[in-house]
Amino acid sequence: MNTKIPDLRKERKISQEELALSVGVTRQTITSIEVGKYTASLPLAYKIARYFGLKIEEVFDFSEYND
Amino acid sequence: MEVYRSKLKRRILLLSILVLFSAFLGVYDVFFQTDISKSGIFCFQCGLTTAIAIIAAIQIMRFKGVLSNDEKLKVQFNKENDERLRAIKAKAGMPMLMVTSIMIIVAAIIAGYFNTVIFITLVSVALFQLIFGLLVKLLYMKKM
Repeated sequence: MNTKIPDLRKERKISQEELALSVGVTRQTITSIEVGKYTASLPLAYKIARYFGLKIEEVFDFSEYND
Repeated sequence: MEVYRSKLKRRILLLSILVLFSAFLGVYDVFFQTDISKSGIFCFQCGLTTAIAIIAAIQIMRFKGVLSNDEKLKVQFNKENDERLRAIKAKAGMPMLMVTSIMIIVAAIIAGYFNTVIFITLVSVALFQLIFGLLVKLLYMKKM
């Protein structure tokens, strides 16, 4: 699944460590989500979206589930 | 986070008891168990308790370091509750693998008093499944 997390982080100058620490996961998990290896659970996706002050669909790309 | 802090303190206490128990067993074995000290099973038990004591002591030092630093505590908490790591462990069958491996090793120690071949076979099985589980876990860590 594609995400806008790398762009949002760069925009706000936030490191992966800072984001991981805030949402309660490891840095490796953030990396995996960013590269699309791992799909975040709904609670984690909600936490990440809330961290950036956005809705889940504004952070994660659900277009592949539109069919 | 305070709940997790007290959980770590409880773990330190339990590990300290384990280290003391292992040390007691070691002293008892050296001074009072001279008649069976030449058997292979006895040496295996000594090695196992020593290894458990060393690992427990290292864990105690690690947890003490974590408790003294709030950021380290948060990182450790996140590491233990990370959903991806939990998913990897579950996929690799780690929780059940640990239980079965411990049961096999206990069975091996008991069987060792009667038959050395069974002892070696059971220990080999336990080691093989632990190594295989670890390899599967590493594979999933790369994949996920």
